[in-house]
Amino acid sequence: MQEPRGTLVLGLGNTLMGDEGVGVRVVELLLEGPPPPPGVTCLDGGTGSLVLLEPMQGARRLLLVDASADGHPPGTVRRIIPRFASDFPPSLSAHDIGLRDLLDSFYLLGESPEVVLYAISIPWPQELGTGIAPEVEAGAAQAAAMIREEWAS
Amino acid sequence: MSNRIVIDPVTRIEGHLRIEAVIENGVVKDAFSAGTMVRGIEKILKGRDPRDAWAFTERVCGVCTTVHALASVRAVEDALGIQVPKNAELVRNLMFAAQYVQDHVVHFYHLHALDWVDVVSMLKANPVEAAKIAQSISPWRNNTAGHFAAVQNRVKKFVESGQLGIFANGYWGHKAYKLPPEVNLLAVSHYLDALEWQKDLVKIHAIFGGKNPHPNYLVGGVPCSFNLEEVNAINTERLNHVGSLIKQAIEFVEQVYVPDLLAVAGFYKDWAAIGGGLENYLAYGDLPTNGYGDPSKFMLPRGAILGRNLNEIHEVNGKNVEEIKEYISHSWYSYAGGDANGLHPWKGETEFNFTGPKPPYTQLNVEGKYSWLKTPRWKDHPMEVGPLSRMLVAYAKGVTDVKEVVGAVLKKLDVPITVLFSTLGRTAARGVETQVVAHWMKGIYDDLITNIKNNELRTHTRYRWDPATWPAEAQGVGMTEAPRGALAHWIKIKDQKIDNYQLVVPSTWNASPRDGKGQRSAYEASLIGTPVANPEQPVEILRTIHSFDPCIACAVHVYDPEGKQVHQVSFY
Repeated sequence: MQEPRGTLVLGLGNTLMGDEGVGVRVVELLLEGPPPPPGVTCLDGGTGSLVLLEPMQGARRLLLVDASADGHPPGTVRRIIPRFASDFPPSLSAHDIGLRDLLDSFYLLGESPEVVLYAISIPWPQELGTGIAPEVEAGAAQAAAMIREEWAS
Repeated sequence: MSNRIVIDPVTRIEGHLRIEAVIENGVVKDAFSAGTMVRGIEKILKGRDPRDAWAFTERVCGVCTTVHALASVRAVEDALGIQVPKNAELVRNLMFAAQYVQDHVVHFYHLHALDWVDVVSMLKANPVEAAKIAQSISPWRNNTAGHFAAVQNRVKKFVESGQLGIFANGYWGHKAYKLPPEVNLLAVSHYLDALEWQKDLVKIHAIFGGKNPHPNYLVGGVPCSFNLEEVNAINTERLNHVGSLIKQAIEFVEQVYVPDLLAVAGFYKDWAAIGGGLENYLAYGDLPTNGYGDPSKFMLPRGAILGRNLNEIHEVNGKNVEEIKEYISHSWYSYAGGDANGLHPWKGETEFNFTGPKPPYTQLNVEGKYSWLKTPRWKDHPMEVGPLSRMLVAYAKGVTDVKEVVGAVLKKLDVPITVLFSTLGRTAARGVETQVVAHWMKGIYDDLITNIKNNELRTHTRYRWDPATWPAEAQGVGMTEAPRGALAHWIKIKDQKIDNYQLVVPSTWNASPRDGKGQRSAYEASLIGTPVANPEQPVEILRTIHSFDPCIACAVHVYDPEGKQVHQVSFY
């Protein structure tokens, strides 16, 4: 459980679908490194859906990390500030109740925290498997570094 | 005149499902259900440590994560002859029950209600009238004119901002919607209440499983320890928290979910004659009280019903290689011994053999293979699985709590028991089950507290934890009931590694293609005879499909190459 009104770093993705699990990989990298400052929580959201509303609701600032099949070179990291769920790039998880619906539900509940999305480009479709390609892994490391900088600010 | 419509993907579900329905004179004449993503978890597991399998299977889906972990640890325990301590059984039962109550409520409000509730219509409701109706059916604290007006405003702003969001892709204004604006407002208001409430209930998973989503499981028990005084253990404070979450769950189910279900159902009684489909029902059962090895003591009993004959419950044995078999006559797989034979999951094979059209395609070749789902059969019968099957088996076996609640619901709606064999019946059975299980949770919780107070604190057995103590070869089956139906994992262990692992998931039973004999599975069968007023807006088809609570993420697994998210209806 994170401290109320703190920052939540939420890594999303399916670790059984290769690069699609890169959001979770970023959270692993963050947890392997030096501990985050007080008030910052890193959560492996996996393929979680509406159950994620609970940790999300406690946060003042949400840093979401997810894979994106946006056609950019694999491993490209983009920092996006979305307002509405439809501002998100093509979503990927094998979830119809994906990140977009999750965020819509979140806004419907009257929540309005600062939301930042780190989208990491991956090739698509993905083979089934548990590994992440080197260029996407490099993207994960870059995203982790950017997030460390951001939570320090 | 007949035409075939395509709904791809069916929205508001996990995963990717495509329905092709042949409509003649406004009625569905034939239907084809296709999983258009492929599953390959079996391949990922081969060669791994069986004790780790749960952590992988749990990731196949974000909705029923806990049930895959449960099926997995049970399969391994069954193979190795491990019996978990009583406390582990109780904790698993609590997590199971919490999953049911949360998932069923989420299904009703967030995945299914919008097939019956017109969101746009609620904008013109009178909040005072809505409160009057709401107060006449329930004492729920948010049933006030002020609260309803606030909800109306909030949704209005949301809609005016041009972001329908989760309410997009609806057929608002369709004449199949029959609720008055006030009842629509009530339902949408409770939709939001349910969103708030469900996130609290699943804290039970975090408390016992250490984290959420994807809580921890453990072969041989549960990965938590009890110590009433210890800060880092499950202590008095945490147990009290669980107790209050259970109390809130019972309150929400009784004051919001069940009254809403009955109120909405009252306007749609015609759906008690639509969508019945198969006449065979299968339940593996769950909530053991004397160990997983003794299904006769499961609170949700195991059994099969054939031909809707509630006077005869057939025994079901997951280990009998003649009972459950998977066929691939219409599935994109190949079997080494030929595609015509069925294989028991212990002998199951996962060789992909895609012979379908290259996307984008207009229509599947339903004469040949047309789905990534295999076709499971019980003694060669197609079976429906899910809450309706469980409640019918429990009812027929005389489970008192189930008989009472079913009786009360039928009386309230003034309908005979045969109405359960329908789309409405499926949706009602889910509500019945939620009410029964929510109350059972309290009993399970009380048993756990009694054990702990008696200083029985064991949550794990070390028996056969060490692979050196294992036989060279072993095989087991972990059967459970996901909220949406019978789920089992079959494992073969050889030289301390996974040699074969097969999942047969609920949506495979329900959403699978025909078998080699041409017998339809549950979705396809249930759509026959469904009226479709406007083929461009086939809300009626969605009602029946959603009544099964489809969740295809674990049945099939890779998202389609175009990353399509938008609901499409096409005609051919």
